[in-house]
Amino acid sequence: MSPWRTLPSGPWADPFRGGWLAAGIGLLLLFPLSSPNAYFIDVFTTGFLLAAFTASWDVIGGIAGQFTLGHALPFGVATYACALLTSVAGWPLPLACAAAVLLAALVGTAMGALSAPLSGPFVALLTLSLGEIAHEVAAGHTFFSGPGGYAWGGEGGIPVTLPWVDAPPLASYYAALCLLCLASFAMLRLSRSRMGLILRAVAGSPITAQASGIPIERFKRMAFTVGSVFAGTAGAGFAVHVGRATATDLSLELSFQAATFAAVGGCGTIVGPVVGALVLHVLLQALSLPPSARVLLYALTLLVTLRFFPGGVVGTVRMAAWRVLRKDGVRPPRAGVGRPEGDGR
Amino acid sequence: MNTRIGPFLRLLAVVAGSVSSGHIALAASRSDTLKIGVLAPMSGPYAAGGTSFVQAATLAVEQANADGGVLGQQVTIVVSDSQGRVDVAKSEALRLVSQEKVAALVGAYLSEETVGAMEVAAAQRVLLIVPVAATAEITDKVQKEYERYRYVFRVGYSLRQWAELIGAFLSDRGARRYAFVGAGIRWNRELGEALEGIVAPKGMTASYSGFYSPANPAFDPVAVAVAVSPPDMVVLGDPGRNSVSFLKRLREVAPALPVLSVGGALGDARLAASIPLSAPVYVQAAAWKGGSPGATAYAEKFEHRYGAAPVGYSDTLPYDAVTVLVAAWRKAGSAEPAAVVPVLERGAFAGVAGTYRFDAAHQARWGTGPGDLRGTVVRWERDGARIVFPPH
Amino acid sequence: MSPLPQVLLDGLFAGGTYALMAAGMALILGVVKVINLSHGAFFMLGAYVACALAERGIDHPLAGALLAATIAFAFGVFLGKSFVNPARKYPFALAVGTLAWALLLEEAAHMVWGPHPLSVESGAPWIGPGGLVIRKWGVVAFLSSLALLGGLKALLATRPGLPLRLIAEDEEIAGSLGMDVAAIRYLTFGGACAMAAAAGALLSPSGAVTPTMGRAPLLLSLVVVIVAGMDSVVAIFFLSVALGVLGNACAYFLSPQWSYVALLAAVSLLLTARPAGIVALAGRRD
Repeated sequence: MSPWRTLPSGPWADPFRGGWLAAGIGLLLLFPLSSPNAYFIDVFTTGFLLAAFTASWDVIGGIAGQFTLGHALPFGVATYACALLTSVAGWPLPLACAAAVLLAALVGTAMGALSAPLSGPFVALLTLSLGEIAHEVAAGHTFFSGPGGYAWGGEGGIPVTLPWVDAPPLASYYAALCLLCLASFAMLRLSRSRMGLILRAVAGSPITAQASGIPIERFKRMAFTVGSVFAGTAGAGFAVHVGRATATDLSLELSFQAATFAAVGGCGTIVGPVVGALVLHVLLQALSLPPSARVLLYALTLLVTLRFFPGGVVGTVRMAAWRVLRKDGVRPPRAGVGRPEGDGR
Repeated sequence: MNTRIGPFLRLLAVVAGSVSSGHIALAASRSDTLKIGVLAPMSGPYAAGGTSFVQAATLAVEQANADGGVLGQQVTIVVSDSQGRVDVAKSEALRLVSQEKVAALVGAYLSEETVGAMEVAAAQRVLLIVPVAATAEITDKVQKEYERYRYVFRVGYSLRQWAELIGAFLSDRGARRYAFVGAGIRWNRELGEALEGIVAPKGMTASYSGFYSPANPAFDPVAVAVAVSPPDMVVLGDPGRNSVSFLKRLREVAPALPVLSVGGALGDARLAASIPLSAPVYVQAAAWKGGSPGATAYAEKFEHRYGAAPVGYSDTLPYDAVTVLVAAWRKAGSAEPAAVVPVLERGAFAGVAGTYRFDAAHQARWGTGPGDLRGTVVRWERDGARIVFPPH
Repeated sequence: MSPLPQVLLDGLFAGGTYALMAAGMALILGVVKVINLSHGAFFMLGAYVACALAERGIDHPLAGALLAATIAFAFGVFLGKSFVNPARKYPFALAVGTLAWALLLEEAAHMVWGPHPLSVESGAPWIGPGGLVIRKWGVVAFLSSLALLGGLKALLATRPGLPLRLIAEDEEIAGSLGMDVAAIRYLTFGGACAMAAAAGALLSPSGAVTPTMGRAPLLLSLVVVIVAGMDSVVAIFFLSVALGVLGNACAYFLSPQWSYVALLAAVSLLLTARPAGIVALAGRRD
């Protein structure tokens, strides 16, 4: 049986999600038509791409339980590939984007191959080191000489050559929303497929999974590849939207941000990280708070959320809802990392 | 559990509500003023630079209002935190233009932020005055795609101007060999290369050139390598806080080596006071107390207001950027970018650092005449810094 | 001054600073089982406390270290009691929560002491035989890391350290033996935070003090603790020193730009070669 086949009903079909998600997408589709100013549209566009990136972290970090701290690597590889291929090699944009996603997948696969034999904090450490190496190389070295006798690369980054001059904000908004919806849908399907089930088993108890005959290293590698494909897609979208690849795209801060947003939303639920990333990004950017207030709000939100919803908002709420509605002991799918520790024994 | 979350949520809602409503009220009450959007990093590792940036712009706006405002209107600034990131700088520039309806932008601090803000300024046809970012990409774009980018002007130094000042100072001090040390970023590498090109014809060579990684700087071995090379003068290309740490380590292994810093952190008297003066510490600046009456007045005003003297670059050029902008508005008799651009291109505008005239790439020109921009070098003494270059 | 011994000595000292931070992180990871990402922020807090004291004329290093340790202990106990203990079954949420706490401390320092760096005089170094420069802060870092790690080893080997070892091994058994596991956990957390702050206070003259100064030492100490394994004090020390010497040698002989990358590459290689960390070499049970 193909590991991609979606499992039918049973405890995996979530009775609440479909309706709310559809309503949310409807609202987001309507939002730009209520004539907000260009700034809000821009904040949401970036938010959609970051949400897709956060969800792709969740495939590796949440569902498969491989707590990666180098997830900016496939993202940044895609943005840099977009920039280099369009501006230096002169490729057309669609081709460059496709190549960027492919390259991100390759890099992610390599990272997965290196970290598959490891477990727990060692995975975090190895991926963190790989990401930091890439960031150092991108930030500290000027690769190419630009057309005006100045260098490209370094902290100033490389521009992406776009076939249009100024993209209409509405088009960017809908394109990014479309990317987010398609990517989330694919990741959700994956998480409820047989492969998702196996990945959760690997996350929950690698030894049990191995004893049941699952090649756990192969599945860990697959999780890295799949997560990196989606991270690369988000990265390519980000490069096109921002028009530039900079070293920040590879930074540890970005990797941490994905893990953080996912933790707030609820690891291993895909929907949680998407909603968490979108809400936090919009909350922090669109309110135009004074800088100190923004940082304090961010830190306090994290502390309070994780204190009272240690499994993430969506994860904890869903768990509570299942407890209320299904007293017969059937449990919803569990997150790998967001799962309380002593429960799986 | 609900009873315990309740107060937190309420508190959050109150904070968020009060901040956003206060913000909206502020925006509504100031519709009769002319707004300048200031983009600078106010959080994260570059917050120090961004804070002084905004302080300088604030002083300039107060001065403009004390001189009667512009076109019968008061001038205000709206500050935006660019967070040191290109995507945030772009989106904040968009906020300033589309939501705050600013008449012009001043910023940003880092080169990558500035190239992001530049795209927004070009697309929205809003003036952007660049006070600090030094990358050649900015002026190159103005030159190559004039129609699109003509709204961008730079009062800050280009990398070549920085390098020429360093080169002239090194020859003035009779240095034959110099060591170049900086943070491993593009800005420093390009400055090092530009300097090498400028001093090579004068027979000066680099005895050592090294860039430490900002993430985990290895100060000690670089200091040792500099000390054994050995140079007549060390050029310290890092304007950030790491320059202080590096200089402390260098003084431990080579107490008698003179150092020229490109400015920034080492221009701050409080930080310079922690460095042993066993050999001269020179610092570059755009303007310094005693350089001209305007510079002295500004330094005194700044110190009086903020409790510390300016470092003469990232807390002085934003003042000049706003001053130039306001003067151009007055001269053009309008705040319309289409009317102001030709005025900026042809006119001469007095600022703290000198008189600004822009070249074809919209870069402020340097000269040797009285009042021209030329930069300055000061030397730290125990009781403050004195100008040592250019010689009077 | 001859460069080679100088670079090696400085590398030794740099390793001492990594070990100094790593000691506290190892204690937290072992006993409380939390990857404490706020350790660097407590280091920064200690440095600010020492600077603020020095500005008021109290520049004895021990005064700063003591005050910083006390303040950090109070905050650490608060964090341990009100956040770490209630959410202890969720290691991932805890790690992210300590990161949030680090941001909070950084922002607080930014608001209290301003964004501009602070710096106090570091004092002249000692000159050893052959013109060797012996940096004072390096000696301080090296000796205090030795003292801390040695003290930790001694504590874990003797009777007063028994509860810590037992809790690290199995909390349920420790609880059933009548130990106040929760209290020991938050006291350990506070104690480790105090160690970080004291280290920050002692090392504050060596560089510039800024709100984000704790980020760089945090990363390398994290690397050391995880790779060396939190219960092997000797491995932590030697790995720290090895990384310090390697980083400095790389910076001197190759390029300073590459020294950080070389450290990370060495760690990555070590991990791929020894997937369970280096202590597994000694036949540690899983």
